[in-house]
Amino acid sequence: MSTSIPPKRVLPQKEAALFRTLLQMYETKLYKKGVKTADTILKKFPEHGETLCMKGLILHSMDRREEGLELIRKGVRLDLTSHIVWHVYGIAHKSEKNYEETLKCYLQALKFDKENLNILREAAQLQLQLRHYEAHVESRNTLLRLRPQLRQNWFALAIAYYLNGDDARALAVLQQFEGTLKNIADGDVELSDILLFHVKLLEAQGDYATAIALLEGKRDEHRILDRVAIRLTRARLLGKVGRVEDARDSWSLLLQRNPDSYDHYRDYLASEGLSLDNPPPETKSRLLEILDRFASLYPRASAPRRLALDVAEGDTFRSLVAPYVVSGLRRGSPSLFSDIKTLYRDDIKRAIVEDIVLRIREELAASNAVAATPQEKAGEAPTTYLWTVYFLSQHFSYLGRYEKALAMVNEAMEHTPALPEILMMKARILKRAGDTFGAAEWMEKARRLDGQDRFLNGKCAKYLMRSGNIDAANKRLGLFTKKDSVSPGIDLEEMQSVAYLQQEGDAWLRQNKLGRSLKRYHNILKIFDDFEDDQFDFYAYSLRKFTFNAYLELLAFEDRLRGHSAYISAATAAAKIYLKLHDGPESPHADDQAGKHGRKKKRPEASTNGANSANGKASESPVPSGGADAEGRDLLSTKEPLQQAYSILSRSDGLIRNHPEFWVVTFDVALRRAKYLQAARALQTAKSLHSDDPEIHVRVVEFTSRDFSTSEARVAKTIERIASELAPRQSLEQYNAEYLQRHPNNPPAILAAARALHLIKGAEGSEDTRSLIWQLLHPECIADVKTCLAAFAFIGEVCGEDIQEEFRKSCSARFPLATIFLRPKEQEDRRKVINAFTESAE
Amino acid sequence: MNIRMATPDDLQGMQACNLSNLPENYNLKYYMYHIVTWPRLSYVAEDHKGRIVGYILGKMEEEPKDGPHGHVTSISVLRTYRRLGIARRLMVQAQEAMADSYGALYVSLHVRKSNRAAIGLYRDTLGFQVSEVEKAYYADGEDAYGMRLALHPTED
Repeated sequence: MSTSIPPKRVLPQKEAALFRTLLQMYETKLYKKGVKTADTILKKFPEHGETLCMKGLILHSMDRREEGLELIRKGVRLDLTSHIVWHVYGIAHKSEKNYEETLKCYLQALKFDKENLNILREAAQLQLQLRHYEAHVESRNTLLRLRPQLRQNWFALAIAYYLNGDDARALAVLQQFEGTLKNIADGDVELSDILLFHVKLLEAQGDYATAIALLEGKRDEHRILDRVAIRLTRARLLGKVGRVEDARDSWSLLLQRNPDSYDHYRDYLASEGLSLDNPPPETKSRLLEILDRFASLYPRASAPRRLALDVAEGDTFRSLVAPYVVSGLRRGSPSLFSDIKTLYRDDIKRAIVEDIVLRIREELAASNAVAATPQEKAGEAPTTYLWTVYFLSQHFSYLGRYEKALAMVNEAMEHTPALPEILMMKARILKRAGDTFGAAEWMEKARRLDGQDRFLNGKCAKYLMRSGNIDAANKRLGLFTKKDSVSPGIDLEEMQSVAYLQQEGDAWLRQNKLGRSLKRYHNILKIFDDFEDDQFDFYAYSLRKFTFNAYLELLAFEDRLRGHSAYISAATAAAKIYLKLHDGPESPHADDQAGKHGRKKKRPEASTNGANSANGKASESPVPSGGADAEGRDLLSTKEPLQQAYSILSRSDGLIRNHPEFWVVTFDVALRRAKYLQAARALQTAKSLHSDDPEIHVRVVEFTSRDFSTSEARVAKTIERIASELAPRQSLEQYNAEYLQRHPNNPPAILAAARALHLIKGAEGSEDTRSLIWQLLHPECIADVKTCLAAFAFIGEVCGEDIQEEFRKSCSARFPLATIFLRPKEQEDRRKVINAFTESAE
Repeated sequence: MNIRMATPDDLQGMQACNLSNLPENYNLKYYMYHIVTWPRLSYVAEDHKGRIVGYILGKMEEEPKDGPHGHVTSISVLRTYRRLGIARRLMVQAQEAMADSYGALYVSLHVRKSNRAAIGLYRDTLGFQVSEVEKAYYADGEDAYGMRLALHPTED
């Protein structure tokens, strides 16, 4: 408390009473009366800072934001040493979720009222939100000093130390606290959570023996009550403390409770000194023996059987996978293939599975042919045959053998014409074969078989988005969104459907509606901001409820938030649009992979997204699906697209594990911002993580073929060093050829090699580049529609329109099912047919 | 199929799964509320690549009148992952944790009157019984059955 109160703050008795009323009125949201009361005081004391602030705060709460802030600032200036004015200023910032500024104001307030519990608590909460761990410890220390009788203050201080990396002090606080406990009631869940935290701290410190002693002791005293937590923690600690037998027994018991937990198997195996991840060959038979034991122990559990398939090889694999597949086919789960296909990374396993399933089909077909009642003869339900051909359709689709896949799925459909799964599969095969329109049509047919199923509805909308029928897609979605919502899109955005927003953003991008697309990606980024804000309220909540262990996990999740793949997809997609905006239509960088629609010779939406939309039928949607500024004009009008891209990407710094795309885009942005060191580092990281990724290969060549001698000397040297580690500048052509040799039949790699060649040799090498691109259509090359579409855009840039047209025709011949190589006009016609088809159901 | 306790990292996958399947959707904060308050009562099913294909979001009744009991806020499995017994497995895990971590005497849930498949699972496979009918429980006006199952703590 400051020693002297400035005279101008002191109000006469009557006004002082009014001021107290004013505070109450704000608390009880009597805003209009509050303003009147404030005015009464201000009439006599127009320079009373605290009253001005309160009036400002009330106006601010009444949606008169600017006016309110203005008054608050004035009030603060008039009474700089009042804790009230600073507190008020902080509250206004807080309501705008401006936590940095809020905290500054609160800390200022605390200077003049050092022991204000309310503000101290809020400051502690803000410090945690902003991860100011050290200052947070200080606040919690003060709070404990002021209110030692409150349990939560002890616990909160221990947590504060823990988060600040000071486990020893955290432990000391807990020990001191536990020493003071007397007369504990039975069933004290608060204490239970504290004790679990104590155990966790001991474990984190590596003091496993003490940890397990505490856990077992408190379990027996019935002080730790959460028996699920006890079981898991104890099993883990037993392993760490070296009580191997006990650990094994514990994990066995846990497996008995949940024989489908991969983690429990891993932990059990670890207690046997075994691992499922790249197991040494000599351990495999032991692994399989154990998994087999569990499989017989738990006949209904699939986990031990499935894990064994990863481990087994050759004949053992064959003998294990056959019954696994047969039981899946009999059960008729549509997900069987998706479960099995992760094994296909191993060619031998793939061939074995193919052989087994083809044989099953043959046997079933033969028994059908000879016996009138095949199921009796073969002991097999007719649905087994259905799921067998269903499996094979996925199998061949996966291998790019689309005609064969279609033959299978058609066979299934003849067998059972009205099963949505079969129609969905047909749609999926068509999509992969490049027929986006046929795919949408069949997905719509599948949907019609079960109009009450949201899953089918969502798939149908997704396919309509992909075929460019965005309006029709949104109408479909509207069948399951809230009826009182302005539009399906707005409901889905409010419900934080990231998948929907990404789909629509991508759909707009394919139509080159950059603004609308960007808007959708920003919607996703905003949802992640909200996820970040969400944690705020849980601080006080978890202190009150004593669920701090779970809260700590929430904090850790929040710290990783922008490494989530949904964030990365939206962030990289948005950044790519900003790159396009920066590059402009004429740059060699423009429209790199935008598909055919990206080839228009003007900046499409920035200039034409006004009232006219000559070719954008879908944009005439009666209900705007993107909310305010759905067309994203504000976003497009940015003067600093690169800065925007950079700031979006940089939020994921240090959080990326497995997204080559992220590094590629980070590199592209850095290069254009002339941040060559940043660019070099991005590539270095990317290459170390994904050495042969096609996009990264192109960037490596792009980077190393550049001249950095103009950069500042010291930096230039580092860049040169990194560049030379990435690829040999003197023999880039050779480097590129070697890359191609490593991936002779891999379409993305071939396209990457062609692009790299173009970077190295330019127009001079266009003949070679061209013949490389034609390799994509070679029968030995894996069929890959998507890559060919990208190649189509690329070859247009490099070789001109005639050759591009020639390539288009060749693609159409190589992929007879594909519609995405049709001319834009033909595609538009197909789109109209799909639209009409969807409307026919309404 | 991997069945395990949910962590905060799973919440977005659970939310996505819920949005694909059910008309009753929630903001992520509601999932956070569940997992911060009752960290043992939510479980997920992952496919072999780690994608969440099913979940159960569980809680304890906050102001119980008749002793502690659990409640299933939401459970669903992606259409393509049905017929594998995932819902049953998720339910069993959550039930056990309700009894063993929080001393729940029973678990309750709501189900659409028209959802025959789910009612079959709850009643025939898991042993739930209908305790009440809630008129117009769902936003579209459909009635819900309130169902219950008595729980007993398991031995260690």
